[in-house]
Amino acid sequence: MVSFNIHGVPVSNGIAIGTSHLISNALLEVVRYDIKTKKIDFEVKRFKKALLTVKNELIRIKKRLLLDSNSQFAPFIDTHLMLLSDSNISDEPAQTIKDEKCNAEWAIKIQLDLIIDKFNQIEDPYIKERKHDVVQVAERVIKVLLGHRKQKINFKNESSVILVAQDISPADTLQFKNHKYGAFITEMGGANSHTAILARSLNIPSIVALKNAKKLIKNNDTLIVDGNQGIVIINPSSAILEEYQYKQNLWEIEQKKLIKIRNVKCKTLGNQTITLLANIEVPEDIKSVKENNGDGIGLFRTEFLFMNRSSLPDEEEQFNIYKSVTKSMGKLPVVIRTLDSGADKNIDVDNNNKNNSALGLRAIRLCLSEPHLFTTQLKAILRASAFGNIRILIPMLSSLQELRQTKMLIERAKQSLKNSKIKFNNKILVGGMIEVPAVAINADMFANELDFLSIGTNDLVQYTLAIDRTDDSVSHLYNSLHSAVLRLIDNTIKAGMKYNKEVSICGEMAGDPKLTKLLLGMGLTNFSMHPTSMLTVKKQVLSSDPKKIKIKANKILRSIEPDNIESLIQDINK
Amino acid sequence: MIKKEVKIINKLGLHARASSKLTQLASQFDSEIFIIKDSKKVNAKNIMDILMLAASIGSKVELQVTGSDEKIAIKEVENLFKNYFDEGE
Repeated sequence: MVSFNIHGVPVSNGIAIGTSHLISNALLEVVRYDIKTKKIDFEVKRFKKALLTVKNELIRIKKRLLLDSNSQFAPFIDTHLMLLSDSNISDEPAQTIKDEKCNAEWAIKIQLDLIIDKFNQIEDPYIKERKHDVVQVAERVIKVLLGHRKQKINFKNESSVILVAQDISPADTLQFKNHKYGAFITEMGGANSHTAILARSLNIPSIVALKNAKKLIKNNDTLIVDGNQGIVIINPSSAILEEYQYKQNLWEIEQKKLIKIRNVKCKTLGNQTITLLANIEVPEDIKSVKENNGDGIGLFRTEFLFMNRSSLPDEEEQFNIYKSVTKSMGKLPVVIRTLDSGADKNIDVDNNNKNNSALGLRAIRLCLSEPHLFTTQLKAILRASAFGNIRILIPMLSSLQELRQTKMLIERAKQSLKNSKIKFNNKILVGGMIEVPAVAINADMFANELDFLSIGTNDLVQYTLAIDRTDDSVSHLYNSLHSAVLRLIDNTIKAGMKYNKEVSICGEMAGDPKLTKLLLGMGLTNFSMHPTSMLTVKKQVLSSDPKKIKIKANKILRSIEPDNIESLIQDINK
Repeated sequence: MIKKEVKIINKLGLHARASSKLTQLASQFDSEIFIIKDSKKVNAKNIMDILMLAASIGSKVELQVTGSDEKIAIKEVENLFKNYFDEGE
């Protein structure tokens, strides 16, 4: 059998190995057939009966949930119940059956298409997302009508079952809740979807946005789901399988140990305190930051506010989100990065995103060329700064002129707030992302004019090595341990020390436990990463002897042979 | 019939949870309860219609209540808006 990999967005960590089970998509199976006039009443009754069956089913699920202490899911079911009794779902299709003389399944499908159309016209991304709830409810009714509601998943060895679906509704997930399935993977969804949030709370590995997964994966294929990397391996070779079985065991043992260090202070053996911050994308991620006892938010990406919508978010909307995030973090720092739309995350500004390549008009360049857009965001951040410990982070600086221009815009935003007598933190810290090699080389000049520096290693590697991250054919050349990259990081950390400015790393490297000791040895004290990586990194910090790792880190910095660097990394982690 | 204008003051506006609370409350009354925003008139007992109003913070909507229990109904619905849909902000 041919082995191959597909990549998606990892939304819940862990590794699962098992066999695939495809969940059918009832909507695709719906066909239209005519109903004879004298059978119409019967068809309407059949429809109403299906509604009742689904209603009872949902009520049963809800009751079971309320018995469970973990009843945070009950509101989802309530919403589904209400959608079910909404006349758009409960009455309209009955009328369609009569008017069109068609079967009930088809009547629901027509109605659903109409509803989806309406939802698609809504601008608010959150409300727009709710169309999935409507689809899920309609699907349930259709499944009952089609008679394969009884398609229950019954397996002897549940933990080795990997569910493959187009999308999974909260109610479906709950049915799975009392079972110990291995993982679930879906074609749809994002980091912010119901599926993702629920998967994390159920603590099963999960990957979403796996395009065509249901076409590529057949029932009973052997699958490895690597929820840490976002990779699904289909029909792996026995060698790969063995490797992952080993990884899976290690992961499980590791997880149990890690929870114990949650409340331990993050210090090296030399008693130096290390700050572990979180990278977050949406306000909902804060839950995970708290679970892992993070020292603050080191990178709040604001792109989600701008994506998947036809109009830009106004100051009020942004202000409310920034404010709620900083309020929930109390006195802990929240670093808000201004809009960093780029090659891999397009937004629509005046429908003009032709120049959105990695080297094009993106991030601060875009913001400076659209001062109105930028000022709106700056004012929203400044206003929110009155409610907590907010800092501003500017992405993709490449020259001091850009920095000065940006600071001027910040001053103007401040002035306009002062004029309107709106409160904000006048001493708000302004930092810059160090991700363009030119800036890493001149890091001292930037350290002199900035309040803090944050190294974005993903882009720094891409720009230093001239590797297009979106081009698979050169991905093997992407190497964050290239000596040129390490030297640029070293130069930046030293510049920060010289000017007594805080330096942090907020790219993938900060969350990679293999590199923790190297970075500590280079003098880094602030790490910002995905919240779920925090405890693994903390564990590395706790076992670090500053004197020893400093010597070894210096050795790595002097080394230029890639093989040599790899073996030195293994040595520093011993 | 009683009419009243209310302002949406909760942070998230009439999103899923607030809409479900409104629908649940409205369904307890015999009166017909309509919500009007920008000339769109929807039945408060239909969650989907309310969702599709996409009413966000700061927007104003009109309540129209007709029926035997209209007085108490409009009061309770208005209170729900005023209490931030019990969301705290």
